[in-house]
Amino acid sequence: MNRRVWRFVFFTLAILAGFAAGLGYGWMINPVQYASSSPDTLRSDYQVDFVLMTAELYQAEGDLPMALARLGFLGDTPPLTLMDAAIDFAQNRQYAKVDLQLMRNLAADILLMQDGTQ
Amino acid sequence: MKQQQPMPEDTREVCTTPQVQPPSKRSPLYLLTGVILGLILGLVYTWVINPVVYENSHPASLGDIDKDVYRSTIAQVYAVTGHLDRAALRLALLEDPDPVRVLNLQAQRSLAAGRDVEARALALLSSALQNSPAFQEPPPEIPPTLPTATNAPLLVPTHTLPIPTMNP
Repeated sequence: MNRRVWRFVFFTLAILAGFAAGLGYGWMINPVQYASSSPDTLRSDYQVDFVLMTAELYQAEGDLPMALARLGFLGDTPPLTLMDAAIDFAQNRQYAKVDLQLMRNLAADILLMQDGTQ
Repeated sequence: MKQQQPMPEDTREVCTTPQVQPPSKRSPLYLLTGVILGLILGLVYTWVINPVVYENSHPASLGDIDKDVYRSTIAQVYAVTGHLDRAALRLALLEDPDPVRVLNLQAQRSLAAGRDVEARALALLSSALQNSPAFQEPPPEIPPTLPTATNAPLLVPTHTLPIPTMNP
């Protein structure tokens, strides 16, 4: 093969090797360090606890839009999906029945509101 | 026989031996250039285009604004339920160096922003934590006094008169 072609092949291989090294360094050895994380990256149990706090406040206030706004703190996940996941988690971890009921009440009211708007 | 005629000057054939080029000894610097170029591309990709996304983070790693929201929610739940133990446990997740002071500061900020209910809840939780013996700072450790067999003087009240002071 022509010498020029070989040089091109080796150059491409060198770039690929450098790229791979860059990926390894940037993702594993020295990844980006964030000064702060966002609430949607919170561990599941902390997210569920926040959902429980929202349910506790909803029980006292009865303000559904405010409860939805509070759930929005945890990211763009639809509120009902968030509630279902939280209830599943709480059931598996055997949360107190009172806490489970609070979350179920909020989930039921969110479902009712969604059915009403559709 | 035909006589060979002299060739004109400009059409004379010049015999030259083909020059054999020596094998090129170019340095492999271009390979190093390729590696560096790839490395830069890789770092741009991993640090800018597609950086690591952390999951399963801890409330203590939240940003200041998100921590304020979290703290405010804890305080409002406490104001509604009165579960101080639970509120204290939740507050501990934020790993504030001085939770009472942080709560007070946030209460002041909330009050200044006109969020009275939130400010009241924060102040209430702060006050409750301050007054709760379970969450107060432990007293400074007193070195334990070991009983000794020496004839140490006993601290017996004496009949000395109190030192008079200037204040009545």
